[in-house]
Amino acid sequence: MNYSETLIDHFRNPRNAGMMRDPDGIGEETFDGCGDLARFYLKVVDGRVADVRFQTYGCGPTIAASSAGTELATGRSVSDLLTLSERDVAAAVDGLPAERLHAAQVVAGAIRAAARDFLSRRSAPSGMKQHV
Amino acid sequence: MNGRVYLDHNASTQVHPEVVAAMLPYFGERFGNPSSVHSFGREAREGVEIAREQITNFLRVSKDEVVFTSGGTESDNLAIKGVAGARGAGHIITSPIEHHAVLRTCQVLETQGFAVTYLPVDGDGLVNPDDVRRAIRPDTILITIMHANSEVGTIQPVDTIGAVARERGIPFHVDGVQTFGKVPIDLDGFGIDLLSFSSHKIYGPKGVAGLYIRKGTKMVSVQHGGEHERRRRAGTENVPGIVGFGKAAELRAREMEAEATRLTALRNRLWDGISARVADVRLNGHPTRRLPGTLNLCFRHVESESIVLGLDLKGVAVSAGSACTSGNVEPSYVLVAMGVPLDWAMGSVRATLGRLNTDADIDYVLEVLPPLVERIRSLSPAAVS
Ligand SMILES: Cc1ncc(COP(=O)(O)O)c(C=O)c1O
Repeated sequence: MNYSETLIDHFRNPRNAGMMRDPDGIGEETFDGCGDLARFYLKVVDGRVADVRFQTYGCGPTIAASSAGTELATGRSVSDLLTLSERDVAAAVDGLPAERLHAAQVVAGAIRAAARDFLSRRSAPSGMKQHV
Repeated sequence: MNGRVYLDHNASTQVHPEVVAAMLPYFGERFGNPSSVHSFGREAREGVEIAREQITNFLRVSKDEVVFTSGGTESDNLAIKGVAGARGAGHIITSPIEHHAVLRTCQVLETQGFAVTYLPVDGDGLVNPDDVRRAIRPDTILITIMHANSEVGTIQPVDTIGAVARERGIPFHVDGVQTFGKVPIDLDGFGIDLLSFSSHKIYGPKGVAGLYIRKGTKMVSVQHGGEHERRRRAGTENVPGIVGFGKAAELRAREMEAEATRLTALRNRLWDGISARVADVRLNGHPTRRLPGTLNLCFRHVESESIVLGLDLKGVAVSAGSACTSGNVEPSYVLVAMGVPLDWAMGSVRATLGRLNTDADIDYVLEVLPPLVERIRSLSPAAVS
């Protein structure tokens, strides 16, 4: 399998790995027929992503795409992330082989889910799920 | 350790330098077609026949009982379709952990009206000979069970299964691709009528193999054409390949026993080292009835491919048990048949040792693997929840 240098770099030195305490949004995505699972945690300040963490179970490309996904999300407005595409994530690791596109799918899905989670918490009645 | 560490010998092996030397003249001045009557042809023919002798000496069979083919895959196809074709209909007994060359051939025969029984295997990957006996029907025409499994290395009780087959007068085919030249094969003692064996697993070239066919076994040919290989396999012989295969077999006769002892010790040291340093790891395959150099492990909560990639980046070549194709991770069908739970099976890694591996290679793997597993696990949500 031929992977880009960027992908290999993210796999070797994943950025922003680990759990986050009291996140403002959490999202998860699994891939059908494949055990891959990615979970993203967002910390949001003024509608923008101030900090991101991921936890991922999967093959090398999924781990690398998760790491690259955290860099993509950092500094972006949460509403932007609602439309983050598989293609955006694949581009962030300088492309994926056709049979590994699921890596980008899982990561994009998990980030979108985290953004949705943040927005739904914000619109929830006060007193519920408020994080300080 | 010399730069890279190759631990994938069940996939293929580096061609032995003496094998390369034996082959070279057959690309050069001995290039003739062995079927030609002139001196060029005779020289090529001589190369093929010397190789046949080296192989039949190794297997202790007569020269007209070995057919050269293009690979273990073709040998399996020829054995199974050859017997099935001679009988026209009937029932075949096999196991679910055979190589695809056997499994898919059996599946094709099922579409042509043959019946196939896939016997279960136990947790160590063993077929129970009593199950073979019970599966036999009046119309059973063939029993085909591999000698050793390429993924987990479990060595089947082919001698006991062979005795059952012989008692009932049923031809017994054994896929010996992973055992030929690695562990002793006693064709008469085991009651084997057909044996597939391949060159590139024993430091010979790729694309050449053999099929042993016991005298009197009723077969049809599968590939039609000229009169080659006593009309059992048409096609101009792969002369340099066959010459190399013969040499490789001759070398195995010399090196096999000592290497088996050495590789078993190396492999056990690798397992002892890993199990002492890494938590949640299990050994797959039979603890002792196993190919000398084969070590198949499952790391829980880690996906095989991430370990294979991580080790590859450290210069260590191993293979993944689960294969990811088009976004579908298939756990190894062998591990599934052995009842290995899915959350373990997804993390299976196979290391298979060979003649150039040293103690220093094992030390190096023991140095790089445990932190790699720990690192990948630390990324996983499963490790936390
Ligand atoms: C048990 C077994 N049978 C058959 C084959 C196929 O052999 P070849 O690669 O020579 O076609 C292999 C090779 O992987 C094998 O391990």
